Amino acid sequence: MSEYNNSDPSLRPVNPETGEPFPPTDQPGYYPGFRTLSQSPYWDAATRNVVTLRVTDPPERRFFTAYEWKFWETVFSHLIPQTDRTPERQIPLIPPLDARLYANRTDGYRYETMPQDREAYKIGIEAINNESAARFGGEFLDLGHWQQEKVLQAIHDGRPEASPEIWKSMSVSRFWELIMHDAMKAYYGHPWAWDEVGFGGPAYPRAYMRLENGEPEPWEVREKRHEWRAPDLSVSDEVEPLHHLHTEATQRAHISPLRKKP
Amino acid sequence: MKTVDYLIVGVGSAGGVLLQRLARAGFSVVGLEAGPFWNTEKDWVSDEAGSHKLYWEDPRVTGGSDPLAFGANNSGKGVGGGSVHWAAFTPRFHPSDFEVYTRDGLGADWPISYHDIKPYYEQLEREMPVAGPAYFPWGHPHGYSYGPHPMGGVGNALIKGCTAMGIPVSIGGPVAILSGSFGDRPHCIYRGFCIQGCKVGAKASTLITHVPDALASGAEIRPHCMASRIELGSGGRVTGVHYFDRDGESHFQPAKAVIVAAYAIETPRLLLNSGLANSSGTLGRYLMAQAGNVIMGRFDQLVRMYKAPPAHALTEEFYETNPKNDFVRGFAIQTVGPLPVAFAKQMQSAKKAWGWGLRREMMDYNHWAAFGALGEILPWADNRVTLSDETDQFGLRVAHVSFNLHDNDKKLIKAATQKTMEVMHAAGATEVVQEARYAHLVGAARMGEDPATSVVDKFGRTHDVDNLFVCDGSILPTQGSANPGLTIQALAARTADYLICQGERIFSSARRDMSEPRMRRDLAPPATWGKGVPRLT
Repeated sequence: MSEYNNSDPSLRPVNPETGEPFPPTDQPGYYPGFRTLSQSPYWDAATRNVVTLRVTDPPERRFFTAYEWKFWETVFSHLIPQTDRTPERQIPLIPPLDARLYANRTDGYRYETMPQDREAYKIGIEAINNESAARFGGEFLDLGHWQQEKVLQAIHDGRPEASPEIWKSMSVSRFWELIMHDAMKAYYGHPWAWDEVGFGGPAYPRAYMRLENGEPEPWEVREKRHEWRAPDLSVSDEVEPLHHLHTEATQRAHISPLRKKP
Repeated sequence: MKTVDYLIVGVGSAGGVLLQRLARAGFSVVGLEAGPFWNTEKDWVSDEAGSHKLYWEDPRVTGGSDPLAFGANNSGKGVGGGSVHWAAFTPRFHPSDFEVYTRDGLGADWPISYHDIKPYYEQLEREMPVAGPAYFPWGHPHGYSYGPHPMGGVGNALIKGCTAMGIPVSIGGPVAILSGSFGDRPHCIYRGFCIQGCKVGAKASTLITHVPDALASGAEIRPHCMASRIELGSGGRVTGVHYFDRDGESHFQPAKAVIVAAYAIETPRLLLNSGLANSSGTLGRYLMAQAGNVIMGRFDQLVRMYKAPPAHALTEEFYETNPKNDFVRGFAIQTVGPLPVAFAKQMQSAKKAWGWGLRREMMDYNHWAAFGALGEILPWADNRVTLSDETDQFGLRVAHVSFNLHDNDKKLIKAATQKTMEVMHAAGATEVVQEARYAHLVGAARMGEDPATSVVDKFGRTHDVDNLFVCDGSILPTQGSANPGLTIQALAARTADYLICQGERIFSSARRDMSEPRMRRDLAPPATWGKGVPRLT
């Protein structure tokens, strides 16, 4: 329904000055015209190869079924929304995940409160569909965009209503961590996201020379900020600082305060 | 296969140093390494997502009330081991670290003192070498003969915050990264990808500091070889190690003595899978990680924290026990410079950011600086490595790790976090948040005088088996709030001197000579010793 869909202006971030949605752009963020890839001739060959292939040849589907691929693509389009990007400049988030699961490659550990990663991505579909049914009476993929976001918000908050038996065998917070990590690795590991956040990217063998005061290298650009706000109906723009919790386990297990029902 | 003098399992921080020393002294020595022998130019990339193969990705199970993350967080694979992806902060431990139990009534004492390891700190600081200030005021004050690094944005924030609060701060090191060229190794280019492997060759890893001389001296390294079991002979001595090669073929390498140097999870795992060295019941216990809470501050002005090594300034002003605190021991505050993927994870943990909120926070990436609060967690018996019923690709039982914070740890972490947040505010940050996490791994095969409460003696020899040694971070009884890499390598050089001084006796005799070895500076890699004049030692 919703993934990569930016034809609907109500799904796009809003210009607070005009109250109108911004048109989709090649490059969101505050560094207009900055392209790390333009520097790739100055990178070493191995780095250039890895980063360029990420852009030109994302891996094809080998692990997920077509339905699972579509399902997670939709979920990830909420974890890291991209409706502000033009379709051809949206960063594919599922190919690296599919490749990882196909190779059965992990981060090198599994929480004892979690199943194997492959299993988590199977069970997760069931849990999210159950949550969708409990809240909005349909399967996740059949819900409206903002209903889908609210389903995911319930898991983000640590307050799912459905599937207690699934969440007994799979930690809600570790599951959320798992899918967020995969989404973030794909998005912020991509050079188009580096352009967005103003990260200079690879600098071997050329080096960074201007280390202090946030000065740009001659080939970097200066920041040019603008105000924007999330789409009016979105609930994912809120953050909740957890610095009063000092240990990893307590931060992770934190359950967000009850939200007012829509 | 021909019997070798020494078989070393794991060619990482400790294994690399051991291999070099023993080979140069004329012993026949083989290193088994589970990962590859890196071609740094072809295999390594300036890219977060593309660097996962540097880390130990084989399965482990993690649990307890405060489960630890492994992989990229603390576990290397491949020749050089963790020294390939460390940030290379190389502070020494303080003299107090060696007598924590005597001073504070908690934790443990070491069977050696600062005095015993000090010459090896000085030695390894030149072999890596370490860049840092001419005067380092904490612990046993000393200086560095290789010049400090210029500051990046995070270092400047730490200076500003500490100075505003009257806290001394060490800038430009100590860090095992070259500020000037050294032999055929070039200086740092400040590209910020230290923990993705230093393609430049400026950051020290044993792959470039000790392995080349080890090979030139006749050592053999077998990459892609996973040790599965240490064989115990009929005489109560080990006879060699079974291992799988990259094709999954099983081999047995006979050796006159075996040194396990596989770090704090894989070392106890191999010994447990071999049924060795655990008469005390302490093998796998007293595992430690350090608190590694990351404090992030947003500044109105730009920081661009991806430039310069993540590690380039620190303060140890809060390292020691302060009787005014409600806890013992202390913490350090250090620069860290997360790249975008790491920073996104931190924003997700610290602010529960996702969706549009995450996109918004990340667009401000260049406005943030990050400090690490490195806090000492004490050794506890219930923090331990055991064997899971789960098996890996070789059919070997994988490690299960249980980790639980105790009262002192929690109080210390809270104080460390709050103080670091104060420093970040004092630096001028308008918003300060914090991600709780852990850094480093040590313990789990600790050294001690009493065979009933420790696994190895002060030279790393297992109490149970005369020709079986452990030499890596797992032998540390406590950990201070200093990054452990320098101490691990210094202990390896000391163990090597001991083995060399003992000579053939290690291979046949059951007599344990516990006298201190003569230091063999002449066995250091060529042209690393005798350079520079430290102002204080």
